[in-house]
Amino acid sequence: MDPSEREQYRAAIHGDREAFEMIIRTHSRPLFAIAYGILQNREEAEDVVQDSLVKAWKTRWRVRDPEKFPAWLATIARHKARDFFRKRRTVPFSEQLIEPVEPEPMNTAVLDQQMHSALAALPELHRAALTLRYFEEMDYRTIEDTLGLTNGALRGILGRALASMRKQLRPALAAME
Amino acid sequence: MATVHDEIDTWLAADLHGELSDGEQSTLHAHLIDCAACRKTHQEIKTMNKILEETLAQEKADPAFEQRMLAGFRRRAPQRGGFVKLIVDLMRLRAAQIAAVAAALLGLVQIGRMITGEPVITARERERYAQVEVTAPQGPESRPSQAGALGRSDASNDMVQWKAWSKDTAAGQPQDLAREAPPPPTAARSKFREESKATAATVAAAKTAQAETTESEAFAASPENPPSVKEAGKTTVEMPAPELANRKLIRNATVEVEIVSFDNAVQKITAFANEEHGYVATTDSEKQTNGKLKGQIVVKVLPENLDRFLQRIRSLGELKNQTLGTEDVTKAYFDTDARLKNAHVMEQRLIDMLKTKTGKVSDLLQVEKELGRVREEIEKMQGELKYWDSQVQFATVTISLAEKDMEEPAAFLLKERAQLSLYTPDVEKIYSQAKSLASPKVQITNAQLNRDYSGRVSAQLSMLIAPEESDAVISRVKGFGRVENFQRQTQRLAQGGSGMSENARTKRDKVELNIAISREEQEQAFQQTSLRIRTSSVDEKAKELRALAEKQGGRVRSSTFSSDPNGREVASVSLRVAMKNYPALMQSLNSLGRVENVSVQRQDRADAQVDESNAPADVSIQVYSQGNIVTEESGLLTTLRRTLAQSAGAIMWSLRMIGVAIAFLAPWAIAIVGIVWIARRAIRARSKP
Repeated sequence: MDPSEREQYRAAIHGDREAFEMIIRTHSRPLFAIAYGILQNREEAEDVVQDSLVKAWKTRWRVRDPEKFPAWLATIARHKARDFFRKRRTVPFSEQLIEPVEPEPMNTAVLDQQMHSALAALPELHRAALTLRYFEEMDYRTIEDTLGLTNGALRGILGRALASMRKQLRPALAAME
Repeated sequence: MATVHDEIDTWLAADLHGELSDGEQSTLHAHLIDCAACRKTHQEIKTMNKILEETLAQEKADPAFEQRMLAGFRRRAPQRGGFVKLIVDLMRLRAAQIAAVAAALLGLVQIGRMITGEPVITARERERYAQVEVTAPQGPESRPSQAGALGRSDASNDMVQWKAWSKDTAAGQPQDLAREAPPPPTAARSKFREESKATAATVAAAKTAQAETTESEAFAASPENPPSVKEAGKTTVEMPAPELANRKLIRNATVEVEIVSFDNAVQKITAFANEEHGYVATTDSEKQTNGKLKGQIVVKVLPENLDRFLQRIRSLGELKNQTLGTEDVTKAYFDTDARLKNAHVMEQRLIDMLKTKTGKVSDLLQVEKELGRVREEIEKMQGELKYWDSQVQFATVTISLAEKDMEEPAAFLLKERAQLSLYTPDVEKIYSQAKSLASPKVQITNAQLNRDYSGRVSAQLSMLIAPEESDAVISRVKGFGRVENFQRQTQRLAQGGSGMSENARTKRDKVELNIAISREEQEQAFQQTSLRIRTSSVDEKAKELRALAEKQGGRVRSSTFSSDPNGREVASVSLRVAMKNYPALMQSLNSLGRVENVSVQRQDRADAQVDESNAPADVSIQVYSQGNIVTEESGLLTTLRRTLAQSAGAIMWSLRMIGVAIAFLAPWAIAIVGIVWIARRAIRARSKP
């Protein structure tokens, strides 16, 4: 880890507000990606990120090792997102997916929806990995660090995620070509 | 290992995301050229990747996202004030956490003590009021003052009652209160103040007319107490004032008196009790071994006569101890009374129900069962009331009587103990002779024969001898050998008491005799001589000396030889000879060299039973030669060496002092540095928002 980054985490843990706000600037996007991956809803994901940041600030002294700060932030976000997800379980998922603004051609809209439902069918961790990759274009190593995965596990996860989506979307893909 | 074909999705994904190494990339491409199925998959994945990128790009957070997050964070986690922040920062330290937990525990303990300690304080207060009552002066014409005392006790009880009342209010039993609660606190307190003023007056000027009038006024006011009732009416609801006649007070006293004659005292107490309209409830007495009597009498007298009765008891003898107690059962009594009335009503109602005899048989049975229960309760309550009535009707006085000189002894016992040491050439023989003395009148309690590693023999015997035989046995034992150190000790023990007594008998107990038998050799010498002989050839002369001693029948006990670096030789010889050969030996020593420093020490013994001609005499002789003139200890090198050693010692000592100084100052220095560090940290934390 970069020493200046490390110093920033350390200062944040010790209650330096400026350092923590800096971390908000650099880390809220990956957090958003994780939350979105789990919830598939932007408003909710934003709320989750907001809640997670406040919680992290309030409980920052629990982190003893500054190196683990980003992974710890990601864990908080995942937990929060899961809580949100559980709360709304009664609401049918498909309703959430209808996007109100879509002036695109019909087949793209259909494909979009199919894509979303294929995403929704994936396990939570796979979704988070995918969103981190596609939102933030992170390399595998950073994603593994953020999600707290062991070395090399991510490749299998992403492979399986794409394979499962590919199988679900096969008819649509065939139509595209 | 799985092939590329098996895990084609993983490979393709990694390829798309640019995470394959060069080697892996070429492996994948080689496979794609070979395998048509995988090529198709590759195509699909590529398309999907593109769609995925496009779709998810729409869902990305907008550029203002971070600003919103920051604004939200600032709104929801506002910056804390300096002091709160300081406290929060402090609480994060482990030491501060531990201290906080300890403080919380201490606080809990303190609260617990306060809660549980409260009743104790009340009890003590009550005791104090009781004491005030006891110490109130009671003269011969003490009618009014007694009335005052009663009034005072009333006041103190009012206080107690008031406390009980306030507790009850908290418990929520207003209907009980309405009947017999005392005047409200303010009234009670003002009344109490008045009363205590009156008490003070009595104590100060014992029987002045002024005090009497104050008291009688106070007394007149206390039973009815119209002004306080009026006050009560003003402050709270109307309540009937407590009447003295309705109070249920249990009074009892215990008295401890020392008297001359027990029977006489019992008669007098009985007479007093009859005069005061009371009776003697129980009497018991016990006779001590020295003929003295002690016992306890329980007397019941009318409560109003109690004080007078106690005054009369005092005239019996010396008062050792007196306590007087009053217990107010008014509340409990009337509670029970009310419950009893309710129970009677209940009983009547149940009887009526039975009389009408309507309803099912099972219901009637239920009613009968209930009736039985109510009746049982009534009986219990009636019993309780009766018990209280009896307790209230009569005050109980427990009088402990003891005759004078209770501790006088009944008899004396003479205990004799004798101890002697015997010296004899044959320990074992004497030991067996002494053992053979055993008979019914001479009992051996302990006999032991010791032989130590150097072959020395000693024996110890303890025996108990009947008093009439003791002198004969002791003189026989003395004949067994040379007696040394004979001790006899007599002790007079008082039985059943202490001190002197004219009438007590004296009895002789068995005599305890301890004998220690040792060989003559271990005996202390009758005469001790020490001398020095200066000669040039020490070794040779020492040998000669030994030969001389043997000739005179002496025995060499120890002999040492030493020579020091200064050329001095010393031989020490210690001899023992019989006194009869002593002069001859001394004479022959002159032939060895110059005899110096002769000192003779003789121990004459008081008991003069020593056979002087055979008694041992010790002679210790030091044969020595003169050494070099300049000794090793005063040379130049020695002085130099000593100086160096002393200076090294001084350096070591100063080093030690420095160590002590460090140990003395270091903890303070560390503590101060620590405090400064924490303070600086706190200031920094505060200044940096």
